[in-house]
Amino acid sequence: MQAFEIGLNPATFGWLLVGLLVAPVAGGLIAGVDRILTAKCQSRVGPPLLQPFYDAAKLWGKETKVSNVWIAFCSWMYFTAAATSCVMFFLQSDLLIIFFVQAVGAVFLVIGALSVPSPYSQIGGQRELLQIMAYEPLLILVFVGIFLATGSFNISAVYAMDKPLMLESGVVPMVLLFVVLGYALTIKLRKSPFDISGSHHAHQEIVRGVFTEYSGRYLALVEVAHWYEVVLVLGVVALFWATSWYAIVILLVLTYAAEILVDNITARLSWRAMLGKLWASGLALSFVSLAWLYAF
Amino acid sequence: MLDTLLFILIVLPFLAGLGCYVLRAEGVRSLIVVATGGILAAASVMLYFQTPFTYPVEASVQATLFGVSLDEIIMVADFLLLAVILYFGVRHKNAIIVALAILQGALGAYLEFGLIEHAPKAYPTFVIDTLALVMVLIISIVGSLICVFAIPYMKEHEHHLHLPASKQPRFFLVLVAFLGAMNGLVMANDLAYFYFFFEVTTLCSFLLIGHDETEIATKNAVRALWMNSLGGAALMIGIVWIYSELGTLEIAKVISQQHTSAAMLVALGLLCFAGFTKAAQMPFQSWLLGAMVAPTPVSALLHSSTMVKAGVYLVVRFAPAYADTNLGLAVALCGAFTFLGTAALAVGQSNGKKILAYSTISNLGLIVACAGIGTPTAITAAILIIIFHAVSKGLLFLCVGTIEHGIGSRDIEDMRGVYGKMPVTALITMAGVVTMILPPFGMLLGKWMAIESSAGSLFVIVMLALGSAITVLYWARWAGGLMSVEGGEKFKTESQAALTRAPLMILCFGAVVLSFLAPWIYSDMVVPLIKLSPYAVAAGGLQSGAGSFAVIPLFIVGLIGFGVAINALRKARSSHAFDAPYMAGIQSPAVAGAYTGPMNKPVVVTTGNYYLSAVFGEEKLTPYGNFAAIALLVLMFALGGLF
Amino acid sequence: MLDSFIKKSRIKSPWLLHFDCGSCNGCDIETLACLTPLYDVERFGIINVGNPKHADILLVTGCVNHRNKHVLKTIYDQMPEPKVVVAIGACGLTGGVFRDAYNVVGGVDKVIPVDVYVPGCPGKPEAIIDGVVEALGKLSEKQNAAAAAVAAE
Repeated sequence: MQAFEIGLNPATFGWLLVGLLVAPVAGGLIAGVDRILTAKCQSRVGPPLLQPFYDAAKLWGKETKVSNVWIAFCSWMYFTAAATSCVMFFLQSDLLIIFFVQAVGAVFLVIGALSVPSPYSQIGGQRELLQIMAYEPLLILVFVGIFLATGSFNISAVYAMDKPLMLESGVVPMVLLFVVLGYALTIKLRKSPFDISGSHHAHQEIVRGVFTEYSGRYLALVEVAHWYEVVLVLGVVALFWATSWYAIVILLVLTYAAEILVDNITARLSWRAMLGKLWASGLALSFVSLAWLYAF
Repeated sequence: MLDTLLFILIVLPFLAGLGCYVLRAEGVRSLIVVATGGILAAASVMLYFQTPFTYPVEASVQATLFGVSLDEIIMVADFLLLAVILYFGVRHKNAIIVALAILQGALGAYLEFGLIEHAPKAYPTFVIDTLALVMVLIISIVGSLICVFAIPYMKEHEHHLHLPASKQPRFFLVLVAFLGAMNGLVMANDLAYFYFFFEVTTLCSFLLIGHDETEIATKNAVRALWMNSLGGAALMIGIVWIYSELGTLEIAKVISQQHTSAAMLVALGLLCFAGFTKAAQMPFQSWLLGAMVAPTPVSALLHSSTMVKAGVYLVVRFAPAYADTNLGLAVALCGAFTFLGTAALAVGQSNGKKILAYSTISNLGLIVACAGIGTPTAITAAILIIIFHAVSKGLLFLCVGTIEHGIGSRDIEDMRGVYGKMPVTALITMAGVVTMILPPFGMLLGKWMAIESSAGSLFVIVMLALGSAITVLYWARWAGGLMSVEGGEKFKTESQAALTRAPLMILCFGAVVLSFLAPWIYSDMVVPLIKLSPYAVAAGGLQSGAGSFAVIPLFIVGLIGFGVAINALRKARSSHAFDAPYMAGIQSPAVAGAYTGPMNKPVVVTTGNYYLSAVFGEEKLTPYGNFAAIALLVLMFALGGLF
Repeated sequence: MLDSFIKKSRIKSPWLLHFDCGSCNGCDIETLACLTPLYDVERFGIINVGNPKHADILLVTGCVNHRNKHVLKTIYDQMPEPKVVVAIGACGLTGGVFRDAYNVVGGVDKVIPVDVYVPGCPGKPEAIIDGVVEALGKLSEKQNAAAAAVAAE
């Protein structure tokens, strides 16, 4: 049985550990770098690199008080789903399934927020659902594009290719899909202009939206789960030029720098503007690129 | 042995229904319904060990019932049935129903007395393959559970209505007899039989929607009847057409080859059209929404888990005959459009039963889309969705019915915080929602297969991607709202009749366990049917060249996560350190869930879901949706026949 | 090891909740000035959160009146332990020039326990930052006391 072979195969087991243990550390460091760079954009010095870890550890040590016990349940479900999806990414599993497992976490985050009758967390939960609704079709279509280029939804198929994914079928369709992926990335990183449900910054017009009622160690879990998700989405970004480590690093640095820039120069949209802009432009771009891929 | 099984599955429900009608005592009726349900469930399980088979085994032997030729019984019953429909058409002064009934009668007479040569037929009357078996199991087990649930439900229902005389005998006559009709429909190998049972389900649906005899119920029942008669007429025309093309009414023969001639494709298109009306695909969705006025067990049985499945069964059954044709593509487009359109319509709804109705139509659309794509992986997806949808959706309907009796409303805004009043039902509802939309459960397995197998069709995949995202929205907000209650102490478990609680528990358990068994269901039920194995079953998961879904490993990880999460919940509860929801610090000290407003008066906070009615409102979307759906139907016949 | 890291983290990650209890906005402007590039308190891991459930340090400006004393109390109660309170400005300390008004309760410490007092009218940003640093010392004292209490049990 293959399930047991996973344990016996040292390479697979190694990747499992990378996904489980190294990924959240990397995610936390990325968050630290993000905060420093954002501060630099605003002519500030910013916090230490390890600040996200201090924050999470402090939250873990706080008193646990919740207004509904489902917050405890949902934060753990979110954490489990995020970690599982990240591990599945490193095990080169099926992109769609990875993404659906990630969606389990997203749905439980919302259920937790909705389980408390506080107006702020209720609005945050509703807006989070709108965000999910906005990015989910785009991600599915990006994966379909990858399928059309490689013949499989499995990540292993991307690594098996000689050419970078970005250069498949005359560059244009894959670059368009990469832009679409960028939209989804912005939502998943909780960055402006799409941070309507709960900003990664500390403060917004609906307090902290979907996170308002998560406190103490449950908020710590949500934070760490978020690091897993960031690594997962950046991993999908890396797939577009996965033929060399240099290329991966350069692509990730450029993409993330662009995200930080966009975050600093844009204002938060309303849900209607977000949904309209994302669906209109995202669907148009992915439709064109998929049609292109079908044609060749 | 075989004839006993078939007798139990098809004829016994009719007899039991008559028993309910004749023996009017409540205790006897409950006994009959529970016993029939048990026998049916047992018989369907025994059928599992016999499948596949044909009946009569010797093709030259003619099937008989009580010594009379079955063919003749069906023929006579057919005309009687049309006469009954005609009667209802006249009584409700509906010209469409009358015209369609006369048309069907005339065509039936032409087929029976003009076309068919009445030689003894040389093919079996019933063919039970795994697709039929899947349907029989759903009808006999899920259907029986719903009938059992109906016993306490109808008692309570009539208690609210204060009727002079109970109408339950008639109700259970139709409800139980319906099970037999469905079983007959899915096992029939003769188009004439198929047509007869198809029409019986139409009539059952009409009678049950109109059961409460309110003005709205009658109006909606008549609408359901004329729309389904349209499907019946299309089916009859299709049958006559197929007979004149192929000279046979044998279903197995029709689907044994791919048809490419324009004439056959139009005939098959008519059959699909009939399937669309029965499955309430757009633009026919309005009858199923209207059907929600019926008592909830009716909605659960006829209008979600079984009868509407007859429509998609028809489309899936004939899928091999139109595979790889333009008709197939058009069917896929119609299905995908319904999937997207009705999912969007569900977003704008706050009526729980309407959401369930739209979601049902949406999932049926997904099945139709899979049938239209017609590749082995797509057919696999279709069959798995049929199975898992029946269980989860049947469960959710029963949950809504139970909650409705508990709180007196079926609006999901009123169901906010129902966890505080009916914790067990709320948790079961939550489980039902989770099995509908999240991995590692079966519905998502089917959706995954559907998306991966439609990746080659641009328009279909875009619609599926959008539709599946919208689906998450309307389910998740419902599930979250159920839990929306202040305080973390354990709530008192509600008391319920055993016949209410047991079906809920069994269906909930079934939804989870069946999902766990998905790889084996696939190799046991799907592989023998499509005679191919597009997925390899390995390590408790399904793999194909295009992707892989590790069902069992995901279940194990999910179970561990669930265990940890439940443990955390228990700990949080036992610490008794609860905190009020954040309300900017101004919550009222006197009234829970309120803040201190002007003049120091407490103002209760109300929150509601976003229904986005400016975009997703029913009255906004329906006209455009129907227009597009009609255009797609025209396209279907044009693609199938003219080109 | 985790425990000592958590202890260290508490000092390095103080999340502030700023509550204006009826100030003239002088102290509020100075408090928010701390976030600006000139003072940049995020250097010390300080974040200005809007939610008591996420906060470690409650900064209160202005004098308490009969109408908002409940709000102050509720917000304080909703903060999870360990937590400290910093009162800012003359009004926050004693009620300031308003202390004899008919509707004024007085300083913050009339309603909730205050750990650090930052005087001034308004308090200077440097003084506020200094007060927060002082509060961090109190936070670690509190946590040591709590640990000792747990050990005693």
